[in-house]
Amino acid sequence: MSPATILTVLLIFSSVAYYLGRKRAFAVAGKAGGIRYLHSRPTYYGALTALWCGIPALLLFGLWLALEDKIITNLVVSGLPEAIRTLPENRLNLVVNDIKNLVNGNVVAGAVTATIQEAAVHYRNLKATSNAALAVGVFSLGIVATAVIRSKISSTLRARNLVEQLIEYFLIACSCLAILTTIGIILSVLFEAIRFFKAVPLTDFLFGLEWSPQMAIRADQVGSSGAFGAIPVLSGTLMISAIAMLVAVPIGLMSAIYLAEYANRRFRDIAKPLLEILAGIPTVVYGFFAAITVAPFVRRLGFTLGLDVSSESALAAGLVMGIMIIPFVSSLSDDVINAVPQALRDGAYSLGATRSETIKQVVLPAALPGIVGSILLAVSRAIGETMIVVMAAGLAANLTLNPFKTVTTVTVQIVTLLIGDQEFDSPKTLAAFALGLLLFVVTLLLNVIALHVVRRYREQYE
Amino acid sequence: MNKDDSKANKKVEKRTIDIVHQGLAKRYRAEGRFKFYGLAAIVMSLLCLAILFISIVGNGYKAFRQTYVELEVFFDPAILDHENLSAANYSGLVKSTLRKMFPEVKGRSEKRELYKLVSPGAAFQLRKMVLKDPEIIGRSISVWVPADDDVDMLIKGYFSTDAAENARRLSDKQLAWIEQLREQGKVKKKFNTTFFTAGDSREPELAGIWGAAVGSFFALLVTLLLSFPIGVAAAVYLEEFAPKNRWTDLIEVNINNLAAVPSIVFGLLGLAVFLNFFGFPRSAPLVGGMVLSLMTLPIIIIASRAALQSVPPSIREGALGVGASKMQMVVHHVLPLALPGMLTGTIIGMARALGETAPLLMIGMVAFIVDIPRGFTDPATVLPVQIYLWADSPERAFVERTSAAIMVLLAFLMLMNAAAIVLRKKFEKRW
Amino acid sequence: MVRKTVLLVAALVFVFVASTGVVNAQSARDYINIVGSSTVYPFATVVAEQFGKTTRFKTPKIESTGSGGGFKLFCAGVGVEYPDITNASRRIKESEFEKCRQNGVNEIVEVKIGYDGIVLANSKKAKPMKISRKDIFLALAKNVPDPKGGERLVGNPYRTWKDVNRSLPNIKIEVLGPPPTSGTRDAFVELVMEEAAKSYPWIKTMDKKAFKEVAHTIREDGAYIEAGENDNLIVQKLDANPKAFGIFGFSFLDQNGDRIQGSFVDGVQPTFEAIASGEYPVSRPLFFYVKKAHIGVIPGMEGYLNEFTSEKTWGPEGYLADKGLIPMPDAERMKYRADVSKLRVLTALNNQ
Repeated sequence: MSPATILTVLLIFSSVAYYLGRKRAFAVAGKAGGIRYLHSRPTYYGALTALWCGIPALLLFGLWLALEDKIITNLVVSGLPEAIRTLPENRLNLVVNDIKNLVNGNVVAGAVTATIQEAAVHYRNLKATSNAALAVGVFSLGIVATAVIRSKISSTLRARNLVEQLIEYFLIACSCLAILTTIGIILSVLFEAIRFFKAVPLTDFLFGLEWSPQMAIRADQVGSSGAFGAIPVLSGTLMISAIAMLVAVPIGLMSAIYLAEYANRRFRDIAKPLLEILAGIPTVVYGFFAAITVAPFVRRLGFTLGLDVSSESALAAGLVMGIMIIPFVSSLSDDVINAVPQALRDGAYSLGATRSETIKQVVLPAALPGIVGSILLAVSRAIGETMIVVMAAGLAANLTLNPFKTVTTVTVQIVTLLIGDQEFDSPKTLAAFALGLLLFVVTLLLNVIALHVVRRYREQYE
Repeated sequence: MNKDDSKANKKVEKRTIDIVHQGLAKRYRAEGRFKFYGLAAIVMSLLCLAILFISIVGNGYKAFRQTYVELEVFFDPAILDHENLSAANYSGLVKSTLRKMFPEVKGRSEKRELYKLVSPGAAFQLRKMVLKDPEIIGRSISVWVPADDDVDMLIKGYFSTDAAENARRLSDKQLAWIEQLREQGKVKKKFNTTFFTAGDSREPELAGIWGAAVGSFFALLVTLLLSFPIGVAAAVYLEEFAPKNRWTDLIEVNINNLAAVPSIVFGLLGLAVFLNFFGFPRSAPLVGGMVLSLMTLPIIIIASRAALQSVPPSIREGALGVGASKMQMVVHHVLPLALPGMLTGTIIGMARALGETAPLLMIGMVAFIVDIPRGFTDPATVLPVQIYLWADSPERAFVERTSAAIMVLLAFLMLMNAAAIVLRKKFEKRW
Repeated sequence: MVRKTVLLVAALVFVFVASTGVVNAQSARDYINIVGSSTVYPFATVVAEQFGKTTRFKTPKIESTGSGGGFKLFCAGVGVEYPDITNASRRIKESEFEKCRQNGVNEIVEVKIGYDGIVLANSKKAKPMKISRKDIFLALAKNVPDPKGGERLVGNPYRTWKDVNRSLPNIKIEVLGPPPTSGTRDAFVELVMEEAAKSYPWIKTMDKKAFKEVAHTIREDGAYIEAGENDNLIVQKLDANPKAFGIFGFSFLDQNGDRIQGSFVDGVQPTFEAIASGEYPVSRPLFFYVKKAHIGVIPGMEGYLNEFTSEKTWGPEGYLADKGLIPMPDAERMKYRADVSKLRVLTALNNQ
């Protein structure tokens, strides 16, 4: 019986248990004088029985599968001839791989020797035995648990509370996953970053003015000097984000104002989803667009103006990123502007203000905190954006304010440092995690501030 | 104001209304300008959208058609040995066919140029035909085989034939042969089915997105199975059951922050935890799906909470009033009403996961994978990563394939978003 | 409704358990796992595809990690979880060989697959440049001999090509090139920078470490842009920026011959013939390395090696030549094929 069938059968068992439990509840109720003398509705007794049948059996099932492979492999290995068994561990696992390929019916590497064939048969037999044992174990556990709980069913058993308690535990566990994720992120980034800071002092990293992580990867190679100063990387990130915001904030904000204050319903219904398409386009598409269409255009434009534009200018990446961010700014600001109570506008109109005056002098000041919050959120999005800059911005860490030059960003550096290079102890790879930590902390701060600002001022008028 | 007042006092004959009238034209102009700016902003962003789409479609629409060349193949029993059909020299078969079609071609270099007219895929195609039906050996059959990518590019008009010979990918002789084939009606553009059914390939004319699409499907399936139930459960707990204390506050702050953590950081998490700590296989859709589900989880939780919040308290009170337990109230009354909103949020989260590239770069999904993945642990790539990979390939014909793949990806995304909008429209309730 | 919850819970647990089960019953690997150089990648993928489509084996999985990264992964150990083959655009270094040994990777089969020229190329919209290796060194090294004379090094003062050599055009030095993880960079440094540095007798006589310091260190002030291993984007950027030059393998030039052109280096233009004959000075061999321990255990290894080393693949008429690989002379091909069929193990690095 394969594990999948076992699970299916277990599911069937569970549903049978449900009906058994329910029937038992009816029977108990009948004796006690009617359903109303039961503590819970009969379905809850059924559910309780089903859960009792299913959960312990499932746990056994999971545990078994987790350990099965190791045990069987060990048994098979111990059955192999001396010559193979005494191979070093890594060679042994290759042989085991071959045996498994044979068992799974995959193409095998070479001629199948008798020993391997034998081992494969052995493996298959053990697997069959194990599966049979698993089936017996799981089903008997299910049946026993069902029998136990069924015998406990009485009119005073608080079945509903038990079931609900169980569900609630499950809900709590799910909601804690968010915390686990955060902890996972922090730990995975922090540990490697700490190892990095052992090699490169924190102050050098935070305040160093030179970034050239392309240090030698072998002893006999001379790479670059291997400086790990994050300032040029950060400044590049900030510059590209700033360009993006210069594009996104005016356009996004004005769009939001127009949509919220001027546009009629039909226009709004068409324009808003269209704008939101911009937010839904994958960043890899923007990256392709930036590299193939926008960057050459920016270069040509700069050339006709007599400017010296690098082919990987910060401008091109920033512009495209700005386009991507427009809908973030516009939809968040739209919400904020809509949240300004109509009474404020009516007040301004009644004093004779025109619409634009009302917007400029009443609505915007009232919505300002929310708008600032939404802009901060957009900034954090821009800082963390990866694909556009990977495809359109460069790798050279220039400390410059010239948007026509090549700059690099934190995310680009993380990607280039980590793709392909999986060795986990060179400062070069670890630097990626230090940058990741930096990125995480910066965006975290921005988010916390933004959310705080938005929340603090949102309910002001309600 | 004081200044205006004093002015008004000095010239008594000028009443307030006159001052207002005086400035009115200017104020209306300002009003018009302001309105224009707003409209211009929207037009501008829509223009960007249009340019983006036009450039992608303009680059890519030609990729949906592929040039084919008709060959009159004689399945020569001398070449096709019955004993070992799967390893026979099929490219030799293609070559001998081409030589027969152009008997005037002599000399090694000339022959090589001739062979370059059709794709190496022709040999695979003949192999498949023979393996499927060995009866055809000894017969002559006319077969449409894919043309080489350079020929394809020429037929589609990417090259100008005026350029100097050494500046083109095709020589004068090759151009003459193609012209000859064209006159005989043996060159045709057909719908490019390969693009939708094949895995990755190094030959642009044989490359397809099916492998990446299947990879995306597996990854998204994992994402959906993990993030939807967990997300809904977490939202229900936080919204309906959680006591207001520091712990739940912490969870809440956490979720809001996770929603805005850059996706690449999730990639770092996947690399450090799933690959290095748990030792999961690299390039597997399973790991990709797990990373993506951590990323979409906050989106789903936030959307689900909003959906729960929009269910009016009266429903809850009604349920509690007739004696339902809290769990009964949630499961029987609140959840069904909030479900459409939750589904909408989930679809939007899935759409984002489908388009996500950066975290997957970290877990080894950037690889050359030809075979269509058959399971969650087979090496696979996903659509956006495939786009990233093709954008890197040296062959020129991949530029249009990249754009075409982008079009397919965008089509999927729009479909998902449209589904979300329809769902929202259909079930949207105002209480 | 309760039933629904029960079902939901059951489904959840099912999913959870099933996923752990899937992972733990990690299926065996039945495909070849290849890593390594981005320069060999275009060739290796073609062979892999041909191999996968014409045999019953699965198509090998190839990740492009750079030669250095490839060796790191390759040398990490013997076993299913480690790659079987690594591609390299240079020979394995002593230090890497040592690393392999330390990790128990004792038996490595070295296979040379052909040659690749390294070209300095620019867009066809501009004129081709005629340059010497010395000029390239002067333009790209971090420290160069003092232009005012004297045997000392100064930080690179040159801004334009004309500054370097009066015969060169008056445009800013802007070169897109590979990072140090790349074998192309290693080969470029060895074949161009070192050679040029040697032409200064006083630099040549420096002690070995100081010499390397001079010859290998490339300027970091923006004139040399490390453009990643993504050679194709470099090509596109060159097309967009006629003033810039790029350093990459000949195969990319070959594929994009209508958009970019190779500069004459020491008077020779990089063409297929010139590189094959050895006339073009900057060409390097390409390799791949195989773990002998994995042969016969990972399905398809022999088949892949056989496919790669057959005449129809790497011969002068083979399909790799169509992709821009410069084939080895006949005798060398014979030697390597014999090596492969005998699985001759690399014992020390100087036994060529």
